[in-house]
Amino acid sequence: MAYVTLKRPVLLTILLVVSYIFIVLFSMGMLLSPETKRMGDFFPALFGLLVAARFIALTGVWYMKRWGVELFLITFGATLAKAILLDDFSMLSTAWHVILIVVFMIYYRKMDRNL
Amino acid sequence: MFFIGLFRESLLFAMHALKVNRLRTLLSLLGITIGIFSIIAVFTAFDSLERKVRGSFEALGENVVFVQKWPWTFGPDYPWWKYMNRPLPKIKDADEILERTSTTQAAVFNGYVRKTISYKTSFVENAQVLATSKGYEEVKAFTIEYGRYMTDDEVQTGKAICIIGHGIGEALFGNQDPVGLELKLYGQKVQIVGQFGREGESLFGNSLDNMVVVPAEFLQKYYDLETDEVNPSILVKGKTGVSLEQMKDDLMGNLRAIRKLPPGADEDFALNEVSVLTAQTTEIFNVFGTIGWIIGAFSILVGGFGISNIMFVSVKERTNQIGIQKALGAKNWFILSQFLIESVLLCIMGGLAGLGLVYLGTVIASYYIDFEFVLTTSNVILGLTISTMIGIISGFVPAYGASQLDPVEAIRSGI
Repeated sequence: MAYVTLKRPVLLTILLVVSYIFIVLFSMGMLLSPETKRMGDFFPALFGLLVAARFIALTGVWYMKRWGVELFLITFGATLAKAILLDDFSMLSTAWHVILIVVFMIYYRKMDRNL
Repeated sequence: MFFIGLFRESLLFAMHALKVNRLRTLLSLLGITIGIFSIIAVFTAFDSLERKVRGSFEALGENVVFVQKWPWTFGPDYPWWKYMNRPLPKIKDADEILERTSTTQAAVFNGYVRKTISYKTSFVENAQVLATSKGYEEVKAFTIEYGRYMTDDEVQTGKAICIIGHGIGEALFGNQDPVGLELKLYGQKVQIVGQFGREGESLFGNSLDNMVVVPAEFLQKYYDLETDEVNPSILVKGKTGVSLEQMKDDLMGNLRAIRKLPPGADEDFALNEVSVLTAQTTEIFNVFGTIGWIIGAFSILVGGFGISNIMFVSVKERTNQIGIQKALGAKNWFILSQFLIESVLLCIMGGLAGLGLVYLGTVIASYYIDFEFVLTTSNVILGLTISTMIGIISGFVPAYGASQLDPVEAIRSGI
């Protein structure tokens, strides 16, 4: 199966692996935490979809697809909006996402336009 | 319309694939079923327990401050020997509090005694007898099933009357109206003027169901209500619009004056409030909840790996079919959605099975244990959300791989 058409830079691979681990450890944890449940009945559902969308975005970047970066930007915007609305802003998390976006943008031109 | 048609076609393809491999479908969704079952079962158990605890706290009285000898919470090095020598709250203290303070609506003395009560040949051993002063109906919410509550005059003059709890009434009189009948307490005839409506069990054993409420002025003729054994307390409720903090400040100053404490001296009373206990239990439940989601998260993770694995097998098996579909003009997203829907369907089926098991468990547990377990809507939504999310996450990589296949190579694979 010919999955990857473009060679992925090592820096991108490292950042993506770390991000995947973060998703499994923190986002899953956040989704199931009692605090998230207390925010409202449908909040875990919205948060779950956001986590799934971020996973898809990272997979897109893994395959060197531009839509991956674009989807990541959308999920970052949504996460930021959620953090501001719920007064749950984390400087560390935002800084990490900004680093990812900067690195993704550096390689954006080299990425594939197709799905 | 065109996209809906294609989506429907993807759904039918996915359902067909699941139907063809029934045993594989069943085995692969087992992981998710167990994962969802374990996490939602833990959440359901703790939610039910938390609701019960909160309900019991609320039954103690919201916006009510308890003036007592002992505080409800202690630090690690609390000077218990100082508390030992504190005076106990008295019936007259309640009246004085009400007279002096401007923020309180009611101040009621409460003391508990355990005593056998009887009616003719029937009796209830160790019934909880609550001796209360006037205004109890203002600090405690309850319903009256038969008769009425005591009047202020009856309470102040210490008339030999009582109101019985639903459980006591059931034990002594079945489902009959007991108003007007006379109980025997301390060898005295006590007339029943009312019966409380059913309140349900309380975790702290303070349910009105098993209580007999009598005027404190009556009971103190037969039992000393100013001893540690009766656990005396004064329940103080603030006026409407007055915050608990304002009332506590007012109460603190006036109680110091009532007890004649000089400036700078430590208080010889404790002002306890339900919110302190609620905050403590919230912390405890947060810890239990965290342990619950850690266990559940690992189960879900294992289930997700199982689904991902089975989807890779599914893609490999149908490589030839994918090639043909692509050669006939199927778009990448059509192939992607076909496998993604299959994976999400698989997980949702597993999740529903898990939720079904939890529901069954709550019905069985509630039947055999005297405790109501409830599978809440929020837990159902959470279960389905986790299932969908795991379906998307574990199915996306195999589905995306399938969508990227070269049609010629896929057909040539010949599987």
